Amino acid sequence: MRFRANIEHVSTFSHIIQSVEKLSKRCIIKLSETALQIICAETEGGVQVWSRIKVDSLFSEYRIQSNSNNEINLELSTESLLQALKSANESSEVMFKLAKKGDHPVLTFEILTKSHQGKKMQITHDVRILVKKPSDMEKIKEPLCPEPDVHIVLPPLSKMRIIAEHFSQVSNMIGVSANRSGELILSIQTDDVKVETQWSGCEHPIIPKEVTASQEPQEEAEVDPAEYHRILVTSRSLLKFLSSYVISTTTIACICSDYCLIMYVYIGEVDDAGGVLTYYIPSRSAGSALD
Amino acid sequence: MSQSQAGTQSQGARSASQAAEEAKEVLSASVHDVRHFAAMLRGVQFANNNNATISLTEAGMTVAVEDSRTLLATAYIPHTIFDEWTYNPPATASESGTQSSEASADTVRFDVQLATMIECLNIFRTSGYYAVLHSSTSGDSDSKKKNWRGDDSWAAARDAKANDGGDSGKPTAMRMSYAGAGHPLTLLLAQDASGPKTACHLTTLEPEEQVELPFDDDQKIVRIIMKSTWLRDALSELDPKCDKLTFICSPPSAPLATASSRFTQRTAQPTLRLMAEGTFGRTEMDYPNDRDVLETFECEQLTRFSYRFGHIVRTQRALQNSVKTSIRMDEDGVLSLQFMMPSVKVRGKESANQFIEFRCLALDV
Repeated sequence: MRFRANIEHVSTFSHIIQSVEKLSKRCIIKLSETALQIICAETEGGVQVWSRIKVDSLFSEYRIQSNSNNEINLELSTESLLQALKSANESSEVMFKLAKKGDHPVLTFEILTKSHQGKKMQITHDVRILVKKPSDMEKIKEPLCPEPDVHIVLPPLSKMRIIAEHFSQVSNMIGVSANRSGELILSIQTDDVKVETQWSGCEHPIIPKEVTASQEPQEEAEVDPAEYHRILVTSRSLLKFLSSYVISTTTIACICSDYCLIMYVYIGEVDDAGGVLTYYIPSRSAGSALD
Repeated sequence: MSQSQAGTQSQGARSASQAAEEAKEVLSASVHDVRHFAAMLRGVQFANNNNATISLTEAGMTVAVEDSRTLLATAYIPHTIFDEWTYNPPATASESGTQSSEASADTVRFDVQLATMIECLNIFRTSGYYAVLHSSTSGDSDSKKKNWRGDDSWAAARDAKANDGGDSGKPTAMRMSYAGAGHPLTLLLAQDASGPKTACHLTTLEPEEQVELPFDDDQKIVRIIMKSTWLRDALSELDPKCDKLTFICSPPSAPLATASSRFTQRTAQPTLRLMAEGTFGRTEMDYPNDRDVLETFECEQLTRFSYRFGHIVRTQRALQNSVKTSIRMDEDGVLSLQFMMPSVKVRGKESANQFIEFRCLALDV
C-alpha cells in the first residue's frame, strides 16, 4: 500500500476540510487513481457529505498503489487534518504520503516554508489514521434518494448564511421551499412570528433525464412551475451546510419533499468543476423540533 | 385633538360600510433605513424573552417593556423617523372611545416578542452599526448573541464593512403594517429591488397589564441634565456585580461660591454622588457642580435613594446611543431617566424628540 502526492492548491483543500470539519469530528477519505472522496456518513443531525474531487484539481505527482484495485481508504480526525493544512498554508511545496510511525499508520505532511526572516524551514506533520478494509467500506453506502421534485441554483451562500443565522436565533427548524419559476424561500414559523425570505430569479439547471425515463413519462406535463416544494430541516444542519460558503461558487439545491435536501456544492465553475461536495440533509417533521 | 376625535366618531357612524373599513389598515408605515428604528427598539430590550407593549397613535409609536414590576422602559418613537406614517384608528376602538377618554380611543395597543422583532429587523445584518456599539457594552444581558458574534470574525469584518458604507452596508428598507386586533404586525424588508425580500408576521397578543410608575413632574425634587457620556463613563467604571446604586444629591451651594470656596465645599457636600455597593466594597463617584458637566442641576433638599444596580445596568444600551440624559427623582424615590437619542434626517427634515425613558422604583431603606 503506497501513496504520495504533492498538494498544489492548499487553500482549496483546507477550505474543503474546513467545511467538513464543521460537520463531523472524523471523516473517511477514499483515495483512488482518479479521485479523492471525502465521506462523512455518521454525523449528529444526520447530515451526510459525500464529495468527489478530481485528483488533478488539487494534487500533482500523485502516486497510489494497493492490493485492492489501487484504492486506499482512510479514517482520520478532521481537526488534525485541518491543522496540518494550516501549517502548510503559506508554503511553496507540500507533499503528503502514507507512512508508518511505530505501530501506527499516519499521513505525513512534509511542508517546505519560509520563516519571517526568510529562512527555509521544513515542517513535518503527522496525522494519525485508521486504514479501512474494503469489506468495511462496503457497509458505507451513499444514500439513495427519490427523484428530486425541484432543482434550483442557490443565491450566494454567504448571503443565505446571514439570513439562516438570524432564523436560527428564533427557531430551530427552517423551511426551505422552491418552485420551478426561479423562486426560493427560507421560512420559519413559531408561536411568536412567521418569517419568509424570498429570492427570485434563481436559475434552474437542466438535468438530463435518463434515470427515471422508464417510470412515468407523462409526469412532466403535469408540473406546475409555480408550485412550491417544501422541506423542513433543522437550523443547525442547514447552518452546517452553509459553512461551506468558503468554497462554493455554485450550489445547486434539490428538494425531495419529506425525504431530504440535497446540496451540490461545486468547487470551481460548474462546467469545469474540480469536484463537488454533496450534502444530504434529512427532512424533519415539525413535531421533532425538540433538538 | 378634538378635531381628530370628531373624525373618528363620524367613521364609527359610517361603520355600516364594513368592507371599506376592513381594507383600511390601522397602520401603514415605511422607512428607507431601519437602523434608527432598530436602535430605538434595542434600547428597551433588556432580556431575551420579554414581551413589549406597542402603542400606536397618530403621533407615532411607543414601545414599553417592564421588569419585575419595578422597572419600566419606554421608547418614544415619533412618526417623523418614518418616511410615511398613516394611522387609522380602528372603528371599534373609536366606538367604545366615545365613552372612555380621548387618549385611549386614539391608541391601539398590542404585545409582541421584542427580541424576535429586532432579529427580524436585522435580518440582512445592516443594523450592524449599532450592533458594533452594543457589542462593546460590558455587562450586557445579551451574551448569547455576543458570543455568536465574537467567534465569527467574518461577521465582524462584515459589520466593519457596513460601517464604511460598503456594498454590504446597504440600508434595509421596511414597510410596516398592522391590520387591526387579531392580525399580525407585518414587516416587509428588502435591501434592494433585485435582492431577497423578507416578510415577517409578528404574532400580536392582547396587551398585558403594564406596571404603572407615574411620575409627576411637579413633584420632582431632583432634576439633572448632563451629557450621556458623563453618566456612561461613570457606570462603566462600576463592577457589574454590584448590588445597589445610590444617588445622593444635595442642593447647590451659595451662588456666590468662588473657585476656592467651591473646592472646600466639594469635599464637604457632594453635589451629585453615585455610590455603588457590593459584596466586595463600595465605590463613590462625585460630579462637580460645573456647567460643563451638569448642564442643569436642580435639587431642593438632600436626597438619597438607592436602586438595584441590575436595573440601572439595563439602561446601558439606551445610554450608549444617546446624546443627553435627564435624571429626575420624586419624593417617593421614583427615578426617571430620559435618554435623548440623536436626531435623524428624514427627507431633509430633522426629526427630533425621540427618546427612551426608564422609570424605576427605589429600594426600601
